[in-house]
Amino acid sequence: MSKLWLAPVALLLLAFLGPGLAPLDPLDQDLGALNLAPGGAHGLGTDHLGRDILSRLLAGAGTTLLVASGGTALALLVGALAGLVLAAAGRWAEALGFAAIDTLRGLPPLLLGLVGLAALGPGLAPLVLTLGLSYAPLFAHVARTAWQREATADYIAAALVNGAGPVRRMARHILPNAAGPIVTLGAIVLPRCIVTESVLSFLGLGTAPDAPTWGRMAADAARFAEVAPHALVAPVLAIAVATATCALAGDALRRRADPLRAA
Amino acid sequence: MKRLVLTLLAALGQAAAILFGLFLLFGAVPGDVVEVLAAAGDLDDAQQAAMRAELGLDRPVLERFGGWLLAALGGDLGISQRFGQPVGPMLAEAAQATLELAAASAAIGLGLAGGLGLAFAAGSRLAGRAMEALNLWSIALPTFCVGVAVLLLFAVELHWIPAMGGLLAPALILGVDNAGQLAKPLAEEVAEVAARPHVTVARAKGLAPLHIARWHILPLAAPVAVSVAGVMIAGLLGGTLTMEMLFGLPGVGALVLNALQGRDQPVVLAGLAAAALAIVAVNAVAALVQTALDPRAR
Repeated sequence: MSKLWLAPVALLLLAFLGPGLAPLDPLDQDLGALNLAPGGAHGLGTDHLGRDILSRLLAGAGTTLLVASGGTALALLVGALAGLVLAAAGRWAEALGFAAIDTLRGLPPLLLGLVGLAALGPGLAPLVLTLGLSYAPLFAHVARTAWQREATADYIAAALVNGAGPVRRMARHILPNAAGPIVTLGAIVLPRCIVTESVLSFLGLGTAPDAPTWGRMAADAARFAEVAPHALVAPVLAIAVATATCALAGDALRRRADPLRAA
Repeated sequence: MKRLVLTLLAALGQAAAILFGLFLLFGAVPGDVVEVLAAAGDLDDAQQAAMRAELGLDRPVLERFGGWLLAALGGDLGISQRFGQPVGPMLAEAAQATLELAAASAAIGLGLAGGLGLAFAAGSRLAGRAMEALNLWSIALPTFCVGVAVLLLFAVELHWIPAMGGLLAPALILGVDNAGQLAKPLAEEVAEVAARPHVTVARAKGLAPLHIARWHILPLAAPVAVSVAGVMIAGLLGGTLTMEMLFGLPGVGALVLNALQGRDQPVVLAGLAAAALAIVAVNAVAALVQTALDPRAR
């Protein structure tokens, strides 16, 4: 096992500590210092409104991770719960429920995000909600597969013989065994949430201007890229490093969980 | 045959559910075209109410959905509330631009990922590395960032491509992104199949690596790749949206986004419905091809 699991931990640390580390006010506009190149008083330069990019990057880490981990957590909870409960219910409930889930799964997250944010209006909560809803079907499927694998195992039959009810069997016996693949999928979905959020921001559907995410920074800077390319490079690099390390960590987790592919 | 009917029925059900969901959501959009017009000119409350009644915005959602669906099935998608033009021709024109871009991107993506997959199956480590790299590229770099960089470098600095309306650059950007999404599962599947006993036997018989790749590995790895390709092509409709905005292409995405900002409900609804139907169709085709390729799943 490599040290890749450190990447998500480092990201979380950055999300908590970043806003406190910002040397300047991330929202403070200095109209006498627009589009400054990196160096001097502004370590990474300033953007088209004269705001300090380094400070915005550090403060934005919190919002970015809040949106992405919020979306992932919501997707995980809702999706896994729905998958487990529907699989346990079986019969028409499972068939009907998964028909709905598959309908949702067929739609690209970007389209769902567009529809959701257009209907709910922009902002943090609608963003988390639509991201969560877009990725929940993936978790539902993983949870169902895990349930199907575990439900026929001998230890479940033993628990049943010992008089354990459906809730106890689910919570004490199946959930711990199903948790591995579900958490692994979480590590894969998290970076996708960061990227989807950035694209939605680029389309003008992201967070409010006073709660900048890296995606929103990149989206804003994209419009001024000709005069201030450095304002685009900084958040894009942050997104790229965060998503790539998260994805690699998720991949490593998955390989470890799957002995057949652990070569 | 039974499979075919079931798949088609499921697709129809999904399409109906999605259309109704879209209609519900956009019946509930805060503010409507009347408010936009009222903000621009000076309509009083009575005039606004009269206008809503004239446009049918005051009737219950179900009734409006039924009416819209019946008319749409007859080819009448309504009149754009902002431009006063029929939506059908607007959508058809936009769909052509989007389909061109989507088809070019899908061809590049499938070709690139398929070619690398074949080389990897034939034993090329370089192809395996390239697939890993492509995958990271597509995960880490949002296409709009790549698009801006390409515009700056090739349109503004070097003048090699037009800044507006060119098809090559956005198709390449999306194609590479798609190849990256497809490369990962394909590479894993190829690696897994390549470790199976029948491939070892084929190698021991001294068969050529390319022959083994084509006849012993790819047929087994293809079904997974097809299902991912279905997801990828469905996702393309999101990717084209970004490229349309960046490169100034008059596609469905740009049409819908502009209509959303103007609360032009018939256009939003028609555009999203067209996108959703296309996606359902792509998913259904992917499911059918997957079954056709894998005799065990029939």
